[in-house]
Amino acid sequence: MTTAVLRAGAWPAVAGLSGLAAVVGGCGAAFPAAATVLLPICFALLAAAAAFTLDEPASAVVDVTPTGAGRRTTIRAVALLAPLAAGALVMLAAAVRGQALPWAAAGLALAGNVLLGFAAACVARTRTGEPGAAVGTAVVLALMAPSLVPSIARWIRTFPAPGTGGPSSDPVWWTVLAVGAVAIAISVGGRRLPRWTSRVP
Amino acid sequence: MTTALAPARPGAVARRATLVPLAAREMRRFVLNPLFLFAVVMAEWITWTGGGGTATEIDEVNGYPAVFLGGFGMMAAFWLTRSMRASEPVAGVTPTSRPARTAALCWVAIVPFCCGVLTLFGFLHAYPAGDAVYGPFSPSARIAVLVGQIVVPSLGGPLLGVALGRWVRFPGAAFVLFLVIFGWVELVTIVTLWHQDSWPATVLRLFSPFAFFTVQADSGGVTAWRGSPWFFIGWQLALCAIAVLAALLRGAEGQVRTRIVRALGIAGLAALILLVLAATGGFTHAVTA
Repeated sequence: MTTAVLRAGAWPAVAGLSGLAAVVGGCGAAFPAAATVLLPICFALLAAAAAFTLDEPASAVVDVTPTGAGRRTTIRAVALLAPLAAGALVMLAAAVRGQALPWAAAGLALAGNVLLGFAAACVARTRTGEPGAAVGTAVVLALMAPSLVPSIARWIRTFPAPGTGGPSSDPVWWTVLAVGAVAIAISVGGRRLPRWTSRVP
Repeated sequence: MTTALAPARPGAVARRATLVPLAAREMRRFVLNPLFLFAVVMAEWITWTGGGGTATEIDEVNGYPAVFLGGFGMMAAFWLTRSMRASEPVAGVTPTSRPARTAALCWVAIVPFCCGVLTLFGFLHAYPAGDAVYGPFSPSARIAVLVGQIVVPSLGGPLLGVALGRWVRFPGAAFVLFLVIFGWVELVTIVTLWHQDSWPATVLRLFSPFAFFTVQADSGGVTAWRGSPWFFIGWQLALCAIAVLAALLRGAEGQVRTRIVRALGIAGLAALILLVLAATGGFTHAVTA
């Protein structure tokens, strides 16, 4: 059962996005001056990779099988190891290159990014079988908002930059972790069937 | 004496008669896309408020319209193109060929292009061409910088989105490309900061659909980097042509396909020449004013 659920995952998307994130993050590690721009992009790609873990092209069939949503989501969560490993690799490379990043905050941001993508996918999965593309886009745009809209950067920071200037990213990610965990629990516990499928009596 | 008027070719008239309503329909769908509407609002808001009016050099603010109209426009155009994928089995048997439908999709880029022109006027209202924020560029080069950074990306982004939607199956391709281009521009700009007079660094910086031309100097002035803004516009337009041709190539058959492939080769060569001219033209070294 576990193997079948895992095999049906959108592995090319998850692995491809994680790999691309590792390349972008690797450039950030290689060019320390660009790290504050490239590492947030890397983490946003990892969040997008996490958003694709729940994609199920055969959802119309799978969602009415006796295997519960909780079990399927738990098994699919194994795929989160790919973005997490890619992020850890990038942070290790940056540390080896001697970058002075706040590592605890960066680790928290990595976990928060991946959980944000996964939680958003869990919520969207109650409505559609393949939430990855839409959720991935939404998550990426939300995470890149401080870089894209100048006034947002004054209030919210999604990546911990070296130095003490500006707001900290920690409160954002602690909040995301807490809200994300609750959202996952609620969406998995009370998952509704997609609108187009009829309920089994 | 009688004058014979050559009638228009019936095929061309029929094609135009099909293209216009198709393009109008696609344009209506594109304009109603929430992402594009958001992008237009953000671009115009940042432009007409002058980015807070605190910019000390023009590149601090003129990247935002390119991000919103070009980047977000690319994502909107990608979705628009992909939205027809499910109906392809039905649409594919209609008398309208796929290249004709692609051409109609390409016409939607007129909308963000017009928004880009409007944004350009907004920028000139907030930062007139004689302002010191443009650095040592001549008045005509200042306009070229703005056109290359605001107007042409607004046209090229959606065209790239159509080409991407025609060729790439991955549904998240648009945001991935958006992030890759965003990261590339930042990376090569930082490389240029280290090697301001280097020709390879200039080529790398200009090898992109968007490029910065100025930076705030330590002395307080504005430093203009190497490179010709006019030839850079030529390079960008060549990229636009490549995007259109690549999009049209999908589904093209027979003689049309041969013509598109030939035109792609010419456009690729023109792009290469214009990139070299853009990198060798303009200032031969960084100049601060």
